[in-house]
Amino acid sequence: MHPTLLRTTVLVTAVLAMFAVGCAKKGATPPTPPPAGNTTTAPTNPNPGNTGGTTTNPTTPGSQQGTATVTDLRTIYFAVDSYSIDGTAQADLDANAKLLRANSNLRVTVEGHCDERGTVEYNLALGQKRADAVRDYLLGAGVSAAQIATLTRGKEFPAVDGHDESAWAKNRRAEFK
Amino acid sequence: MRNRAPFVTLPATLLVLSALLAAALPARADDVRLETRSGASSRMPLRVTSLAPAGDRDAGTTAVQADEVLAADLQYSAAFDVARAWVASPQSATPIAEVGGKWTVRGSTVRLMGEVREYPGKQVILAREYVGPAAKWRDVVHRFADDVVLQFTGEPGVSATRIAFIVQEGRTKELWVMDSDGHDPRPLTADRSVAQSPSWSPDGSLLLFTSYRGGGAPQLWVLSPETRKPFLLSGRQGFNTGGMYAPDGSGLVCTLGMDGNAEIYRLDARGGSPQRLTSHRSIDTSPCWAPTGREIAFTSDRSGVPQVHVMDADGGNVRRLTYDVSYTDSPAWSPRGDRIAFVVRTDSGFDLWTCRSDGSNTTRVVAGGSNENPRWSPDGRHLIFSSDRDGTRSLWITDLDGAAPRKLDTGGRKAMSPAWSPRMGATSAR
Repeated sequence: MHPTLLRTTVLVTAVLAMFAVGCAKKGATPPTPPPAGNTTTAPTNPNPGNTGGTTTNPTTPGSQQGTATVTDLRTIYFAVDSYSIDGTAQADLDANAKLLRANSNLRVTVEGHCDERGTVEYNLALGQKRADAVRDYLLGAGVSAAQIATLTRGKEFPAVDGHDESAWAKNRRAEFK
Repeated sequence: MRNRAPFVTLPATLLVLSALLAAALPARADDVRLETRSGASSRMPLRVTSLAPAGDRDAGTTAVQADEVLAADLQYSAAFDVARAWVASPQSATPIAEVGGKWTVRGSTVRLMGEVREYPGKQVILAREYVGPAAKWRDVVHRFADDVVLQFTGEPGVSATRIAFIVQEGRTKELWVMDSDGHDPRPLTADRSVAQSPSWSPDGSLLLFTSYRGGGAPQLWVLSPETRKPFLLSGRQGFNTGGMYAPDGSGLVCTLGMDGNAEIYRLDARGGSPQRLTSHRSIDTSPCWAPTGREIAFTSDRSGVPQVHVMDADGGNVRRLTYDVSYTDSPAWSPRGDRIAFVVRTDSGFDLWTCRSDGSNTTRVVAGGSNENPRWSPDGRHLIFSSDRDGTRSLWITDLDGAAPRKLDTGGRKAMSPAWSPRMGATSAR
């Protein structure tokens, strides 16, 4: 067989196989609703390390089949210039950890956000610190590392438009997507 | 995943561009103008006369516009206090010279015979012809204006340069470019994503920028403003932000999160061979080269809050820049080498400050509203920055002489993250 034709055939076969798997999966698990307030630029693949189609895997041995979705997870808030997990954040993360442990098929991306007062560059780094702090807390609470990816959003995607402390407090956050 | 090498996906075009860039830019000699301070000196009174139209019947139309462009260029240079001969206004001081000439349009070609006559005798001290396509007549005027600045200051002006910046519409941010006088703002990306922090290559042929256009974490991209086709430069695990080419074009510095924390790295011009320069559990970000290429200014919160630091180009000899001001960020090293601009946090956002490159002589240059992302003009006479000082986030220029900053017209668009291009080619005649 001509090499190009061979490659095309293999590719088509692979795509068909992936499609079949995708269809089967749809029957096995309820489709995840798109996150509210999502923007056109938000990534749709919560775990970029995986290849397409394998973000949920209902056949993992010992996995638990909860029905929770990412929208059931609480948003975590931070103090000014801080990425430490305070008392309120701990309680919210404990609840999130419980839910993630009970739904080990649920894969999430923790998105770290900042208020508008730092510079663009600093906030991109701070957003990653916040996302990483949330991930580390969840791992410490027994959540599987395979369930959590992280992403920084800096100050580019405020939850609330406003230029006062009440707006800033709502924007210093880690969201689950 | 962690060691994914992004350069293997780079198209050959970029490799060629990088090679040309490195070849075209021999290591720059040490600053020859260290004796000249960054910022403006006092302005010399200068009279600009109308250009005399010749050639095609409609030459007068562009001649009148060229008059205004010439006068604006000379005023913006901060070297002169310009009086327009065609505007009736009392001349505050006797001009040192008169600028004018002949404007000839024939078909698709424009010729400017530029002249500078010194007062009081009106002897011609500069006479030079500038030729270009009629469609780009503004560039012809800019070249003359930059030579007039050269005549009186010993260094060419910067009107024949461009400014890259970011335009926000709703939740998207695209990369744009315009002439240094604000003319012809035009988009370079249409990603419907978030772009940030543009930075020019030393020869002005490429723009580095940070973008979410890849769909996941922020990545470093590069494009030529001519082709507008972005190439991925660094898409490593974690985030990739804030790149800046080395003064000799041989590589760049940027912030990467690939080792689990925000650290500063040097990459080669193709985005490969990462060499880690910082190693601290705090946030290290916003790297910026000294024009000599021997040092790098950056922001670190290792002392508790963000502070500008300086290190040697190999990452050694880290020292905090200023101790009399706190919470400092966004360092920008003057092309003259003598001063560093940065922002200082206030209750309402940021003020703009400069200091000597050793951290002494801290000086606040812009206050009021929130002023961010200072970047120097290639002659070190001006700083461009973004500010919401009049209510809308837009671009402003300060001449560092105490005069009020000047707003750049970007058509009412929300503009931020400016980057002033280097000089584009020679300013000599023809």
